[in-house]
This record gives sequence, C-alpha cells and structure tokens, in this order.
Amino acid sequence: MAAPDLLDPKCAAHNAKPRLSFSANPAAVLTRGGGGGEDADDDERDGVRFSVMRWKTVSAIFVLVVLYLVIGATVFRVLEQPHESLQKAAILAQKLEFLAAHACVNSSDLEDLVKQVVSAIRAGVNPSGRSSNQSSLWDLSSSFFFAGTVITTIGFGNTSPHTEGGRIFCVVYALMGIPLFGFLLAGVGDQLGTFFGKAIARVEKMIVKWKVSQTKIRVISTLLFILFGCLIFVALPAVIFRHIEGWSALEAIYFVVITLTTIGFGDFVAGEKGGSESPDSEYLKYYKPVVWFWILVGLAYFAAVLSMIGDWFRVISKKTKEEVGEFRAHAAEWTANVSAEFKETRRRLSVDIYDRFQRAASIKRKLSSELGISASVGQEMTPGKRTLSANLGEERDAYANLTLSLAPGALTRNGSLFLNGLSPDFAQRLEVAVVENAK
Amino acid sequence: MNPLGRSWLLLSGFVLFYVIYLLFGGLVFSSLERPVEEQLRRDVDALKRRFLNQSCVSAAALEHFVGQVLAANRYGVAVYPNASNWDLTSAMFFANTLVTTVGYGHTTPLSDAGKLFSVAYAVLGVPFTMLVLTACVQRLMRPLVAAPLRLLRRCGLDARPAAGVHFLALLALVLLCLFAAPAAVFGVVEGGWSFLDGFYFCFISLCTIGLGDLVPAAKPGQRFKQLYQVAVMVYLFVGLMMMYLLLRTFHKMADLHGLTAYLQLPRCEESDHDDDREPIVENGQSAATHKRPSYNSISER
Repeated sequence: MAAPDLLDPKCAAHNAKPRLSFSANPAAVLTRGGGGGEDADDDERDGVRFSVMRWKTVSAIFVLVVLYLVIGATVFRVLEQPHESLQKAAILAQKLEFLAAHACVNSSDLEDLVKQVVSAIRAGVNPSGRSSNQSSLWDLSSSFFFAGTVITTIGFGNTSPHTEGGRIFCVVYALMGIPLFGFLLAGVGDQLGTFFGKAIARVEKMIVKWKVSQTKIRVISTLLFILFGCLIFVALPAVIFRHIEGWSALEAIYFVVITLTTIGFGDFVAGEKGGSESPDSEYLKYYKPVVWFWILVGLAYFAAVLSMIGDWFRVISKKTKEEVGEFRAHAAEWTANVSAEFKETRRRLSVDIYDRFQRAASIKRKLSSELGISASVGQEMTPGKRTLSANLGEERDAYANLTLSLAPGALTRNGSLFLNGLSPDFAQRLEVAVVENAK
Repeated sequence: MNPLGRSWLLLSGFVLFYVIYLLFGGLVFSSLERPVEEQLRRDVDALKRRFLNQSCVSAAALEHFVGQVLAANRYGVAVYPNASNWDLTSAMFFANTLVTTVGYGHTTPLSDAGKLFSVAYAVLGVPFTMLVLTACVQRLMRPLVAAPLRLLRRCGLDARPAAGVHFLALLALVLLCLFAAPAAVFGVVEGGWSFLDGFYFCFISLCTIGLGDLVPAAKPGQRFKQLYQVAVMVYLFVGLMMMYLLLRTFHKMADLHGLTAYLQLPRCEESDHDDDREPIVENGQSAATHKRPSYNSISER
C-alpha cells in the first residue's frame, strides 16, 4: 500500500476520538460485499490474522508521549505562572482594599465570605447579582445543552450535577448516550465525507486536465480539504462567536478548537450568558440549537483532521524506519558478505590442510611399514634401515617440509614453490583465495 | 428496501432518537438539580444579607468584591494562598488533560500566549495520544483477548458464547480495578469525597467527559501533591486504554453476533496500514485489504 489515505474521513472516524465511543471504520459499510459468507470466513481469519505491534514501537511511542507532556508542562509553566501571580496579587490587593475601605470587617470574616462564595461558584451558582432576575442553570434548554456536553464527551463543566441522584443518573445516561452519539457521528462523518469527496473529485478532474502528478493532486486535495473545512467549521463560527459573545478573536478560535477536539475546558462556553444580560434573547433561543448542530458536524470534521495528523505521524515514523532500515540492511549485507568470504576461505584452507595431513599420515604409515620403525625422531637406525631411509630421503624431506608447512604462519605468500613444501597448484589456490578475501 | 434507502432511514432514525434522548436527559437533569440550585441561591443570599447586616459594607461594594472573587475564580486562580496551579506537576496534569481530551477546566490558560499554545499543542497532541493508546491497546489485545478466547474455545465453547463470556469477564475486571478500587482510594485520600463521588469522578474522567466539578489533588494543603498528581495521570492513561480495549472487545463481539452487519454499522477491523507489526501466524495478511474509498480517487465507487 502506498502512502496512507490522507484525506479519508473514513479513516478519520476510524482512528480519532469518537472511536472511544463506537465508530470504527465506516468504510467497511461501502465495501461490504456480501454478509453471511464473509462472516464465517472472518471468524477463522480473525483467529489467524492476528498480529501484534512490536514492543519496541510501543515503548518508543510511549517515551515520546511522556517527553511531549514534559515539554508541554514546562512551556505552560513558563507562560502561565507569571500571569497567575499577577492575578493572585490583584485579588489580594482587592481584598486588602476592601478591608481598608470597610473598617468594621475583619479579615477572618472576609475569608469566610470568600470561601462561601467560592464554594457557591463551584456548586454552579452565580453569587453575584440578585437571585430573582437570573435564569436558572437548569432550565430545560440549559439542561439539554448539558446533556449534550455529556454525550459528546466534551464536558464543559460550567454546570454539573451536584445531587447524588443527578450524578448517578449522569453515569447511567453517559453509558448509553456515548455509544449512541458515536453511531451518529459515524453516520454524519460518512455523509460529510461523501459530500467532500464528490466536491474534491470534481476539482481533481479539472486538475488532471493540467497533467499534474498524482502526489501533487493528493497534496492539493488535502490542502483544499483543510482550507475549506477550517473556513466553514472554524473561521465562520469564530467570527459569529466573537460578535455574539464579545470574545476576542483568539478566544473565539481557542473555544472552537477546545470544543471540537472534545477537550471542553469550560472557561469559555457559547450561550452561557443566559437571559439576564443580553437584550436580544429572541434570537438567543435559536442560537443554542445552532451551536449544537455546529458542534455535531464540526466534531466529524475535526475527527477527520485529527486522524489525518495521526496518519502523518505514521508516515513520518515509517519513513524514518525505512531509512534506518535501509541503512541497517546495507550494513547487514556487507557484514554477511565479508563473513561468507571468510568462511569460504577457511573452509578451503581446512580442506587442503586435511588433505595434506592425510597424505602425510599415509606416507608415515608407508615409511613405518617399510622400515619397520616408528616415525619418531632420534631412533637408532640399522644400516639396512639407513639405506632405506636414504632412498626414502626425498620423500622424508618432503614429509619434513610438509610438517613445516602445516605449522601456523607457514603459509607465506612469497610464491617460491618448494620453500615451504607447497605444491604449485596449492600455492596458486591459496593465493587466489587470499586475493578473493582481500576483495 | 435498497441498501441506500435503508442507510438513510437508519441515519434519520439515529438522529431522531438522539434528539429524543437529549430531551429526556434535559428533563431529568432539570428536575433533579433545580431544587438544589434554588436552595443554594437562597443560602448565598442569606449569607450576603448577614454579612451586610453586621457591617458597614454597602451592597454595591460587596457586589463589586464578589464580582472580583468570581473573576479570579473563573480564571482558575487559586484564591487560597500558597497554591499554584502551574507548578511543574500541575502543568503536566493540565497538559495531560489537554491531550487526552478530558479537559477538566479547573485550570485554564490565562495568557493569550498560553491559549495559542494550547491550541497548537492540542491539535498535535490529541492525534498523537490516540496513536499511543491505539498502539498500546493493540499490544494488549493479545494477552487479554486472543489468549483467553483461545482458552475458552479449547474448553469447548463456540465462538459466540466464548466472546460473550470473555467480554463480561473483562467488564467485571475493569469495573473492579478501574472504578471501584480507585473510587475507594479517592474516597479515603480526598477529604470530602464519598464513594459515589469517587465513582462518578472515575467514570466522568475515563469517558473523557471531564466536567471538572470534582478534581483530585485540588485541595489546598494536599500532602504529597506531586506524587498524587502523577499517580492520577497514570491512572487516567491506563484507564483510557482499558476503556478502549473494552469497547474494541465489545465491537468484535457485536461483529460476531452479526449486530454490526444488521445495523449497517462499521465492522471492527484490524487497522491494516501498520507495518510495524509482527504476524503471529504467517498466513493471514491478505485478509484485510479492502479498498477504502478515498477522497482523491477519481474512479467511480
């Protein structure tokens, strides 16, 4: 398979966040040939085709993630701590100012008040203003919104259940709702993918006429996808939020990204301002459902984008591995060649040495059988034996030279034929072997 | 009914059901929570009145002050002294909630640069984390799913009941080790949390909802805060992995039982574009090469 399909939102729904709910690869829907027979096959195949990621890969990725976290932590700390200290100093100054301005309040009373205010805030109640003209955080539309944040796993947290019953219900509700939303997201992703796919196919048909290469087409398609998607799902909503909510541009984009990746901090929530402040509550009624619809479709888009980025990581890691693999392959090949040569040389040498040894042994036997003596040196020789030995002197010389030649290091290259008792053809063979080795 | 019509019908069925489900949830939450909210409001009002009665503070000044406290708290500034939300382990905890998409929101970036960096960090980090989780889960599938299934089949069960039994066993294991046990621990370590609170926290975190109303290690003066935060991070990671494993197992089981085919849902397939895998058995790799319809294929589907 060539480069992974970068644009495939099917891959997206397969790989990205909603996978934690239910949507696996929707592509299989379209490629599903015929149900029953395949199932039976797959049973077997499932058992057989199981494969496992290597430990090295997993641990490498894990180390990378930890590193990524540490780097992120350091950067966040450097960026945020000064600001936090400033805010802290500000609130302290405000407290002191309050105490100074109102002499009858002592600091412990004030601390008490602060604590109570904070816990009220944590409980989701806004302690400022009078309670009568405030809309509830749990009227029907806000509860609907909250239910939505639970199911999509965004979980803003600006409202959260505090009763025991509410919490238990939340757990049960999420258990059933998250998979349900997963199905929905898979379906929406499918439709979105089809829509985008058709559009891009048309664009590609135009580009192909200009005879551009396949990779370039792919890159252009990816860029188009990102551009148009960002325009529709990020830029446009950001502008709308900026206008309606009064956020800055950065805050709006921050909200969009944090929501669509389902992180959902809750420091910025669209539609939170409620009824008390803004006068145009008329179109606010439609605002929240529209926000909801945007979240649904935007989630599918972001799932596609995130999985695309994931695929890029895969490609990068594959490429790196390929390069490393190539290098390793070269090195291994070289080593293998050298050792093969070496083995071959040793084999030939040992065969020849064995031959020589056998011949020497047979000559020894001949000598000993004819002279009636053993081949050990320094034995008394009768005149008869001496004559025989003189006759066999040549061979004995040869024998002596052979023993010499069997000594290690005697295999010199000086080419002289009988200096070390080597026969001509052996010398040639040895030289050839040595020369081959040196290659 | 032709398959196209059927899939449209199913999709609209899902949408409708989803909307109804949301309405239902909204109603129930509303009826459960609203009375408590009213009560809290009344309490805060009473508190304020009490404060005003016994002092020289004017209502306006009090409101102003409360507004400032609100603003400070909203930005996640720890209103209590001696606690920073951005020391190294807390910042790492924050980064972790960012990349796992849990996103509690008990600390949020205040500076503009911090917000910008969060966006970039998340866009890169979320797919990265998903990749890691996928990798780990694939590795875990073998000892936790394939091996027990083989064992069960050797004991004479068919494929379908074996899958069902195994899934239930896995579910029980996850509930015990990842929900009940940590909930008990949280109940002990965190002062004000009941067992239900702990369980609720575990569930909300591991589904990556992350409401942020309950966050561990957020109490002022927590002992061994750094260690505690690191432990919670590890718990989150392991928990997410196991949840994903559970879902994958369920999906495979649903495949076996024909549910996914019936509902025309995507089947659970092994991702077939990983080559950093070693085949356990040699002769199966040709199975999963379905051609995926892609954006940039010009051919007809």
